[in-house]
Amino acid sequence: MKTVIDAHNISKIYNKDKIPVYAINNVHLHIELGEFTALVGPSGSGKTTLLNLIGGLDTPDSGKIEINGTNITALRSNELIDFRLKNIGFVFQSFNLIPVLTAQENVSFIMELQGMSKTERQNRINTLFGQIGLEDKLNSRPSQLSGGQQQRVAVARALASKPQFVLADEPTANLDTASANKLMDIMALLNKEEQMTFIFSTHDPRVIERARRVITLVDGSIVSDTAQVNIHSTNVHGS
Amino acid sequence: MLLKISWRNIWRNKMRSLVIMLSVAIGLFAGIMVLAIYKGVMHSRIKTVIYAETGHLQIHDTSFKKDYEPVFIIRNGLSIVHEIQKFPEIKTVATRTVTMGMLSTTTGSSGIQINGVVPEQENLVSQLNQKIKEGAGFNPNKHHEVLIGKKLANKMKLKTGNKLVLTCTDSSNNIVASAFRVAAIYESDNAPLDEKNVYIRQTELNELIGIGKEIHEIVILLHKDEDLKMVQKKLNNQYPEYLIENWKAISPETDLMVGTVDITSYIIMAIILFALAFGIINTMLMGILERTREIGMMMAWGMNRIKLFILVLLETFFLTITGAPIGLFLSWAVTGYYKTHGINWSSRGKEMMSSFGFNTTIYPEFPDEKLMTTLLFVVLTAMFSCIYPAMKALKLKPVDALRK
Repeated sequence: MKTVIDAHNISKIYNKDKIPVYAINNVHLHIELGEFTALVGPSGSGKTTLLNLIGGLDTPDSGKIEINGTNITALRSNELIDFRLKNIGFVFQSFNLIPVLTAQENVSFIMELQGMSKTERQNRINTLFGQIGLEDKLNSRPSQLSGGQQQRVAVARALASKPQFVLADEPTANLDTASANKLMDIMALLNKEEQMTFIFSTHDPRVIERARRVITLVDGSIVSDTAQVNIHSTNVHGS
Repeated sequence: MLLKISWRNIWRNKMRSLVIMLSVAIGLFAGIMVLAIYKGVMHSRIKTVIYAETGHLQIHDTSFKKDYEPVFIIRNGLSIVHEIQKFPEIKTVATRTVTMGMLSTTTGSSGIQINGVVPEQENLVSQLNQKIKEGAGFNPNKHHEVLIGKKLANKMKLKTGNKLVLTCTDSSNNIVASAFRVAAIYESDNAPLDEKNVYIRQTELNELIGIGKEIHEIVILLHKDEDLKMVQKKLNNQYPEYLIENWKAISPETDLMVGTVDITSYIIMAIILFALAFGIINTMLMGILERTREIGMMMAWGMNRIKLFILVLLETFFLTITGAPIGLFLSWAVTGYYKTHGINWSSRGKEMMSSFGFNTTIYPEFPDEKLMTTLLFVVLTAMFSCIYPAMKALKLKPVDALRK
């Protein structure tokens, strides 16, 4: 399988009251194309920090992160912005959409930033909204959508730019069970149909059981890395 | 899309944006009204100078203005008048005999300029008859009549019908004097000139100073102000031996005032917009701070700094420019009304206005020639106002912004 993310020895240290605290401590991570991976762990374990580092939103204090062979830790700020635009899709916990734009404009915006033509954008919007089941909400503003619908549009937006992988930071945290299941169904479908790699941080057991690989973080270190088939898991790497 | 986002963003907090738009509208209205009033005042002053004081052009002997000696006459003055009246650009011509002298009454005396005029000509070039406030003006059946200004009349306690003595030197440097009766008291928009100038018949002054039928001054009024330079050039070519001056040279203080007022009005406009800029900065800054997470999200997606700056610039621009048409329309409508009806300031500063030679009724004129500069000021204000909020936005790191 093709390697998408290769992180070597990455550490991130925050100075809290002049005492260094390891948010991420010497982490090695290898993600391949088409993976559906959950990052789990208690609050403050470093899940979001690890996603931010992989997504190029933050820089590690040591170590190296390669995305499709590109060392993103060596990229300059502007290059990193461009890299994110072309290679990474993001779904955040909440407030994922620009409130003044309609659902389709939110999705179209990122494609415009990439310089896609209008026809190409419209075709992609039609496909994506079909996949997320919101064809009838194209012209709705985020405030007119439910939390679950907003997250589905956020997934469509994350995929709009045809990224290498999608990072989702607790995507179901604010959703009810039905909406969370629907969102996970869509992500699983896109993972299957488009071979899209998903990495998501979560506390939610409903989400964890859908992942095919579960990486557990505690105090900034990976304590386990297990492969799962449905709800049955097989330990492949760590403890 | 950036246009769409920025336009919609300014309506996210309608009240806040409307307050700023209204401030821009009122600021622009105030600024344009200042320009319009200045323009009206200056046009009125220039009109007063040309049509009530100096005419467009004057011809003198080159030495005359040095000490106003009666000997410095315009030789063949009347034949020059006859020739230049044929110029199609020239509307009317008047001749004057001018000398410095003294006005004396039983109670006192005052230094004055004695103007010997042909009443019919003078009425056409300086509307002397229209300025008369008391009395009836020159009576063709009477002799030795004088018209004096109201300020001089008040100073010398003179009324119509009173007698006075005018003293001056003749062409042989002898002191000569003659008694005159006040036929009328006039009042112009220029009190200092009213205090200084008296008018008698040209024939009587010429006889007094002994210059026969000669004249000292030819005053020319043109059909169109725009012909001034061309006619002056023509006259200079035709009569190089004489001093030919336009109103700007005769009344340099007016020309200077026009230039100064232009600069002053721009400074006032700049101050108004500069003050407004702080309101705009405040609004934009609040907008940016409220949307920190959203901006972080857009940066995370891959929106680069140039696009982010353009977004902030467009928002500031829309916020600033939306109020502009309201301000422009308001000022256009108000100047339009007052251009016809005038703003009467006579109850608030007649003395002051008159002492500077200004009409007490102001007719503001919409400064259409300054409209582009004004709009440029507005755009510059928007650009200036966006710098600090944009810097704040650009300094955000996505990872920090997303935590907010």
